[in-house]
Amino acid sequence: MASNTKGSSRRDFLKRAGGATVATASITTLAGCGGGNDDTETETDAGGDTGDGDTETEGDTGDGEGEETTRLRYGRGAHSSTLDPQNTTSGEVAKVTNQAYDGLISFQAGEASLTEGLATDWSMDGESVTLTLREGVTFHDGSDFTADDFIATYRRFVDEDYEYYFEDASVYGPFTLGNWIESVEAAGDYELSITLTQTYAPFLRNLAMFAAVVISQEAIEGDTNLGEEMVGTGPFQLETLDDANNRIRLTAFDDYWGDGPNVDEVLFLTRGQNSTRAQALVEQELDIIDGLDPDSMQIVEGSDTAENRTATGINIGYMAFNLSRVEAFRDRRVRRAISYAIDTQAIVENIYSGIATQADQPIPPALFGHNDDISPYEHDPEQAQSLLDEAGYGDGFSFTLTTFQNPRGYNPAPLPTAQTIRTNLAEIGIEMSIDDRQFSDYLTYTSQGRHDATLAGWYTDNADPDNFCYVLLHPQVEVPDGQDWVSWDTEGYNTSNNAAWANTEYMDLVEQAQRTTNQDERAQLYREAAQLAHDEAPWVFIDYADEVRGVANTVSNYTVAAIGGPFLEVVEVE
Amino acid sequence: MVSNRFVLKRLLLLFPVLFGVATVVFAILHLSPGDPAVVIAGDRASQEFVEQIRSDLGLDDPLWQQYVRFLGDVATFDFGQSYQVNRGTQVSQILVDRLPITIELALLGQFAGLLFGLPLGILSAVKQDTWTDHLTRVGALSGISVPIYWSGPLLILLFAQFLGILPTSGRIGSEYFIEPATGLILVDTLLAGNVPAFQSAVVHLLLPVVVLGIYQMALLSRMMRSSMVEVIRQDYIRTARAKGQGSKITVMKHGLRNAFIPVITVIGIQFGSLLGGAVLTETVFEINGIGTLLVDAISRSDYPVVQGTVLVFAVLYTLVNLAVDITYSVLDPRIEQ
Repeated sequence: MASNTKGSSRRDFLKRAGGATVATASITTLAGCGGGNDDTETETDAGGDTGDGDTETEGDTGDGEGEETTRLRYGRGAHSSTLDPQNTTSGEVAKVTNQAYDGLISFQAGEASLTEGLATDWSMDGESVTLTLREGVTFHDGSDFTADDFIATYRRFVDEDYEYYFEDASVYGPFTLGNWIESVEAAGDYELSITLTQTYAPFLRNLAMFAAVVISQEAIEGDTNLGEEMVGTGPFQLETLDDANNRIRLTAFDDYWGDGPNVDEVLFLTRGQNSTRAQALVEQELDIIDGLDPDSMQIVEGSDTAENRTATGINIGYMAFNLSRVEAFRDRRVRRAISYAIDTQAIVENIYSGIATQADQPIPPALFGHNDDISPYEHDPEQAQSLLDEAGYGDGFSFTLTTFQNPRGYNPAPLPTAQTIRTNLAEIGIEMSIDDRQFSDYLTYTSQGRHDATLAGWYTDNADPDNFCYVLLHPQVEVPDGQDWVSWDTEGYNTSNNAAWANTEYMDLVEQAQRTTNQDERAQLYREAAQLAHDEAPWVFIDYADEVRGVANTVSNYTVAAIGGPFLEVVEVE
Repeated sequence: MVSNRFVLKRLLLLFPVLFGVATVVFAILHLSPGDPAVVIAGDRASQEFVEQIRSDLGLDDPLWQQYVRFLGDVATFDFGQSYQVNRGTQVSQILVDRLPITIELALLGQFAGLLFGLPLGILSAVKQDTWTDHLTRVGALSGISVPIYWSGPLLILLFAQFLGILPTSGRIGSEYFIEPATGLILVDTLLAGNVPAFQSAVVHLLLPVVVLGIYQMALLSRMMRSSMVEVIRQDYIRTARAKGQGSKITVMKHGLRNAFIPVITVIGIQFGSLLGGAVLTETVFEINGIGTLLVDAISRSDYPVVQGTVLVFAVLYTLVNLAVDITYSVLDPRIEQ
């Protein structure tokens, strides 16, 4: 224990000494950031505004108590299954790896915009992307960060010819980098040039994803087990991975290049049950918790030691019609009829207890390209019935709705949701049965296209509209003439499009948006695509769920972030 | 004494048992819906990517080939790597880490059961048909009837949430990090000489142990009572009493030893079911033993972990029962044949 205290006071001293320098540096770099990004992504301008928050923290850094170890306890529902950001698509893993690793580009805390990471400047010109890297950054293993580290990281992820290629690389390898990158080259230690396979506007956002963080080349090419160790440049370094007790201890990294960290230790603790986790927060056993449902939010709300904080999430919950399987769904009037018949307002308000907003298009409101002129389908059974009559289904028909059983963020109550839909549809003569499955079974079943219709949802990977519009509604295969759907069995079909919807006009808009680097033009294309998706109704748009966290009153400077983070390096604990 | 032949015969029986268990587990896993390749790949993956994983894991081989390979691996105690729970880690390593947690819990539960169950049983027998007896018997009956998934949350509600004197979950306070030497938290904290950590572990384990121990206590006190009641009616007890020996001495010296024989059998057999109880207790109190491991692995289609864990359960159960049989025949040589 004694050595612990000594360690922390030394750390505090270093922090105080470094604080002023970092503060000045961060102001200069923020200014530089706004300028550097003008030509590429206008939205990063917004990043400049939030910069104030960051600089404020520096003023407070000196308040840290010299002797006590300041500890931030983050409670969550599940333990990390690995510490390797390239071995998972799990957000649970990302929460921890984001503390130890940095990407070339980062998300601004609490915003969907981009900001500097290990790169201080970048530009995108057609297929060519150039990045200027930050100098003087050290990895936790003491090695210096250079362009070669990114190249080794990239090759480990996607290059099968690389000696240290990672056999168990997650789908994010091809999904975010491999499919789009032609080559990566270093021009000196601090300049990277990336050639893309095509002009691909969302690419910079892919670089900001947790899976694209930079790992030390020495660690990659040495004998480090990256599933159990983290060798990054982030604000915290791994101290203990305690799988036996489902917890992880990180300590402040003294040589961190950015703001913070403001605490000596971060503990990631697992409390599987929501109510237990909320109770632990209230009892001051935890400082920040995530994964709250309406019941656990009430526990927090009723306490005087903590509070709930929400932010608009970047996700969507929906019901997809499988056009490949059910003939009735190929008629847009039927899809629209069902959209009118289902009372999504009641679902959001009563079942999701208001911690979500009603959805009306595939692009969540926090993203650029969201079309503000669209409003949700109103609950209108009469309109629904007349559309069904028009389509020749006036006497109704029957289908099965597949759903997962366990709550997910975008759908906290899948079964009650399905039951409400069943009741709503019965009113217009449609007989719907519910097929509820355990999540792994659900994934298998729907990825094989065996569902008539399915409840589904999506959390953003990179906070780009493309991540919704292209990934979830573009078939990524050729479409037969005169048809607005494809057969599920088509070779290379994108099974994430669980509606099998293939509207060529929509596809053109989305493809064009991928190739357009001008932000305003892109936004316009997405607004049009969103309108089309709304009108054609391949999904019943249900909700955009809020991000909810429980935060102890002793915690300050914590921002609820829907993408990236959690940004714990700037957080302070009394 | 127990003959070596008896022990050997029983040990050899372990093989067909394990073979049977392995086959059943394999069959259930492969018959149940949910494709591990899809689960590993996640919902972002293309068909091609899923196919790649399926072929990497050999999940596209004919079922009999997978079965033969699985049996071969089991024979060499190689359960493979975890797909999901602890990605890329050897299942055997995970089991080595997690097993002590469950064993510690089961042992403590057993100990608690003995500590309270036996004296209560004796008391109940000696004070037969008095208020003490009735009270103990009602208590024991409820103890047996109350399921862990009900008593657990109830005790958490009372002691952790309302009274706030005990922690809700886990094995040790979040501030204590003890290098695992044996994997038994009480032993490890003592070995580390860290008294506050030891105290924290005791406090954390109190509720789970009580929950696990209640059933044991109830069962043992009932068993002890009926066995004791039977014994104290025997002629030799009456003779001892007639010779002028005090009732306490008679009970303790002559009664207890004889009454113990059936009780010990029950203790042994019940240890096996304690492991089963540990699955529930671990889930309720979020203790990370092989019980939660199994639940976790099943829900995430982590085949290797499910297979490894179930086999370990089977081995433990069989070995404990063997130990019971051996003890039994030591106590009563007539049983051996």
